[in-house]
Amino acid sequence: MKHTLIHLNASPYSSLACKEGLDLALVLATFEQPVDLCLSGAALALLTDNQQPTVEQGKNLHKLLAGLEFYDIENVYIEKTNTWIKDNPTWQGAQSLDDTEWQTMFSQYQQVFRF
Amino acid sequence: MQYTLLITGSPYQSKACHSALRFIRAAVTKYPNSIKGVFFYEDAVLIGNQTAQPPRDEINLTKAWQEVAEQHSIPLYLCIAAAVRRGIINESESRRYELEQHTLAGHFQLEGLGTLVDLMNTTNKVIQFR
Repeated sequence: MKHTLIHLNASPYSSLACKEGLDLALVLATFEQPVDLCLSGAALALLTDNQQPTVEQGKNLHKLLAGLEFYDIENVYIEKTNTWIKDNPTWQGAQSLDDTEWQTMFSQYQQVFRF
Repeated sequence: MQYTLLITGSPYQSKACHSALRFIRAAVTKYPNSIKGVFFYEDAVLIGNQTAQPPRDEINLTKAWQEVAEQHSIPLYLCIAAAVRRGIINESESRRYELEQHTLAGHFQLEGLGTLVDLMNTTNKVIQFR
């Protein structure tokens, strides 16, 4: 069974990429495939608490984060260098990795898909 | 070795569909059965729109994919959720949504993400073009 990493890098509100990446992660988990997530760049906005997007802005994907554990998606990685995360109220389920850990993480998986 | 291709880049905003096509041609030239299937996701599903009419002096990418699929018996899957939301509808979805037309081009088929999971588990590598 292949271990998959879904790498979210696009803003949750600028396109459907984040949503469709998360959809793929949830489907993989539903089919009992081991899957982890990592977030970088504009996708980190997903973690910010108290999001209230309008219909035009898009779905509130932040709400999905709380449900990840029910799909057995237990690992959500971010880079430690994103210091603004510490200063803002964000979802606390993500694990911070230092530069070396972040870089070696990608080679831990049989497949990595980027959205 | 068998590959599955996952294509996520829009045919209009990226060269993902073009590059994947070139990859397939190169792969099957050397190893005829090396491509098990192609799964289009995100904006890449727009490749399956039969009503798109590119200018005559430009490549007809949909037709090029249909030809390669036919020549090498490669199944072309579009994610059904991604396709339907973008107006790529087959006959049965057209009936389901009570529409008068369907837009899915020949040689393409609508499938759920479960089909991609199945392809992942039955091929050696999945290559994403984005």
